[in-house]
Amino acid sequence: MASFRQPALRLLASSSFRRASPTVFNTTRSLASIATDAPTPAKKEPLLKKFTIYRWSPDEPTKKPHMQEYTLDLNETGPMVLDALIRIKNELDPTLTFRRSCREGICGSCAMNIEGTNTLACLCRISRDTSQATRIYPLPHMYIVKDLVPDLTNFYKQYKSIKPYLQRKEPTEDGKEIRQSKEERKKLDGLYECILCACCSTSCPSYWWNQEEYLGPAVLMQAYRWLADSRDQMSGQRKDALENSMSLYRCHTIMNCARTCPKGLNPGLAIAKIKKMMVVGA
Amino acid sequence: MASTFRSTTRLLASRPTSAIRLLPHTRVAAFHASQRQQILPPGPQVVQGTVNDPVPIPTPNAAHGSYHWAFERLIALGMVPLCVAPFAAGTANPALDAALGTALVLHSHIGFDACVTDYFPKRQYPKLRSFMVWLLRGATVTVAVGLFSFQTNDVGLTEGVKKMWKA
Repeated sequence: MASFRQPALRLLASSSFRRASPTVFNTTRSLASIATDAPTPAKKEPLLKKFTIYRWSPDEPTKKPHMQEYTLDLNETGPMVLDALIRIKNELDPTLTFRRSCREGICGSCAMNIEGTNTLACLCRISRDTSQATRIYPLPHMYIVKDLVPDLTNFYKQYKSIKPYLQRKEPTEDGKEIRQSKEERKKLDGLYECILCACCSTSCPSYWWNQEEYLGPAVLMQAYRWLADSRDQMSGQRKDALENSMSLYRCHTIMNCARTCPKGLNPGLAIAKIKKMMVVGA
Repeated sequence: MASTFRSTTRLLASRPTSAIRLLPHTRVAAFHASQRQQILPPGPQVVQGTVNDPVPIPTPNAAHGSYHWAFERLIALGMVPLCVAPFAAGTANPALDAALGTALVLHSHIGFDACVTDYFPKRQYPKLRSFMVWLLRGATVTVAVGLFSFQTNDVGLTEGVKKMWKA
């Protein structure tokens, strides 16, 4: 990276513009180095915050899961819970295990239960209240692989069962792409944004009790996303797949899904729309 | 992180006591790390087929799906006017009473049936499930017979509620 940057910098440094103007003095400095001439900020009082984190290791399967406490100085930690977890793993305890990838709420890897609410660790701010510890658990009522890593095998298998792709019986008349009106496209807003982090499904009591058979809010919202798509021609089969007592109708409109969704979506509404579609046959 | 994961997966693949089993219908002996008296112990994880197979889709049956749901909602909606009508009219009409009694029995049967489906899963407690289903059916028939005799031999549902309200 630095080797890529250097020729451009040298070019910039040798330009007559640079010599003429004293304001671009610092451009010769590498971007990664620390500015030495900057005034050092006053040292802040350490703000010590406790984190209690669920620990369970498959290496010792008979050992009961326990809560482990870690203390961090919030002044030296990033603002989000994921920053704290990464810092704990880097500096305090490398055995702490969790999933993370994008650190900006688009991959859905770091879904976990923080302070009793399923959310993404990367989108959840650390509470500055140091009198209470932040409690972090894995997603509730899931099989645990290790520490904060839940087993999402069944969740993905359920997602696969709704055939989350466009299905058509015949190609378009003119052989070109399948076009949609603006209104038809608008029906997919609030559905396609789902990142399948499983926060909603694992917050649903119905899913807790019957996750082997009930599909759960996240998967059902995707089922509706393909039912609502004007380009899809298999809505009959899609609806038939939900025509039983367990797959769809275990939803009792508890609405934990909409409350917990870190992306602000409403799976409960989508499920209600599927139920309406199933009755009126639309 | 990567190395931790790698060692974990290797361990899971080689040890029979691991949480994940990918073989079809394989049951793994449960280890008990928590109290046995908890409700609904989850038991070991069972993955049907391989991890790449979709979950099986049940046979479509509208009687258990959309028809059932529509029927349930219609009864619930119908009960609103049926509850209000006798009090609004000021008289106890035997036909209205009978309709209310029938709707009430059906509504509560469907409601409790949903509870049984939720809390006594067939895959986990097949015997307890059928016992609960028959217990509910018995209770529903008993209530229906009771309401019928109350309707025919006594003052009727609406009058009865009215009298209780006064007392």
